[in-house]
Amino acid sequence: MIIEVLTGFAAWLGKTPLTEVVASHFWVVPALQTIHILSVAAVLISVLLINLRVVGIVEGGQPVAVVLNRYLRPTAIAVVVLAITGFLLIAGEPTRAIFRTIFWLKMAFIVAAVILTWSHRPAFAVEGAQATVARRGIAVAALLLWVAVVVAGRWIAYVEAWPGAPE
Amino acid sequence: MSLEDFAIRLSETSLSIALTDSEWAFPALESAHVIALTLVFGSIAVVDLRLLGLAGRDRDARKLIAAVLPITWVAFAFALTTGTLLFIANPISYVANIFFLTKLGLLLLAGVNMLVFHWVSQKHLDREGALAPRLSGAASLGLWVAIVAAGRWIGFTL
Repeated sequence: MIIEVLTGFAAWLGKTPLTEVVASHFWVVPALQTIHILSVAAVLISVLLINLRVVGIVEGGQPVAVVLNRYLRPTAIAVVVLAITGFLLIAGEPTRAIFRTIFWLKMAFIVAAVILTWSHRPAFAVEGAQATVARRGIAVAALLLWVAVVVAGRWIAYVEAWPGAPE
Repeated sequence: MSLEDFAIRLSETSLSIALTDSEWAFPALESAHVIALTLVFGSIAVVDLRLLGLAGRDRDARKLIAAVLPITWVAFAFALTTGTLLFIANPISYVANIFFLTKLGLLLLAGVNMLVFHWVSQKHLDREGALAPRLSGAASLGLWVAIVAAGRWIGFTL
């Protein structure tokens, strides 16, 4: 059932001009991947500084709310750029990523990581709010999830597609 | 001994053979390398954008550098270690790859740029709108974008 829906989606996407554009020149895919990885850098450094601040390891002189204000916006922008370049990379080869469990695991990790990272904002909305033990635990979990996103992404290139997936 | 001879010798070491034989070693090292290099680039870009006056202008540049620089160095140590192991897994292909050699050259330039910042530009940080820190930031950002791009191109030309 899911494979049929995804096969239909891949077939539709493969007929759009997007696939033709991405596959037209050798340099388009590495260029998209370079933008993708630079955006990964923006996300990772932002969430590292945010979550290490929540834990209390860096930027001790800065209130958490200030650190959140500084780094959440670039994170959000980078996530949007990642979604766009990621979609274009899928369009370039529609039968690849979406037929692998690891890709959907990556998507699930992204959702969880985004929710946990942004959950800091209401937690520190009150001036002078201190990080509770639970909040520090959430910060560590968020960081680990972001790392898992990157690892899962790298692994897409190495795992087998589902049986019955289009060639 | 030429670079090619060195690569051939290296490829015959037990470490190189073990890395090539393992099914998971290369992707695992790649994953670690991606995390390390994105943190190197990200932490450097945070400082560069501050030097250029494009972000964090309400933040004291020296304090920002002090907070971020330890992350850069730890991440760089990891990137260098994982990168060296990736090289050892496949030395003959890497030394023949123009993007790999370009990347090494650009890394060297980034190092020189860092020294210039440390010795010269940094002294002008306290002067509002000084040119030297801006030039350092622009050169660093340009070099590191090119380093990441060259690295990604290696994967398609190896």
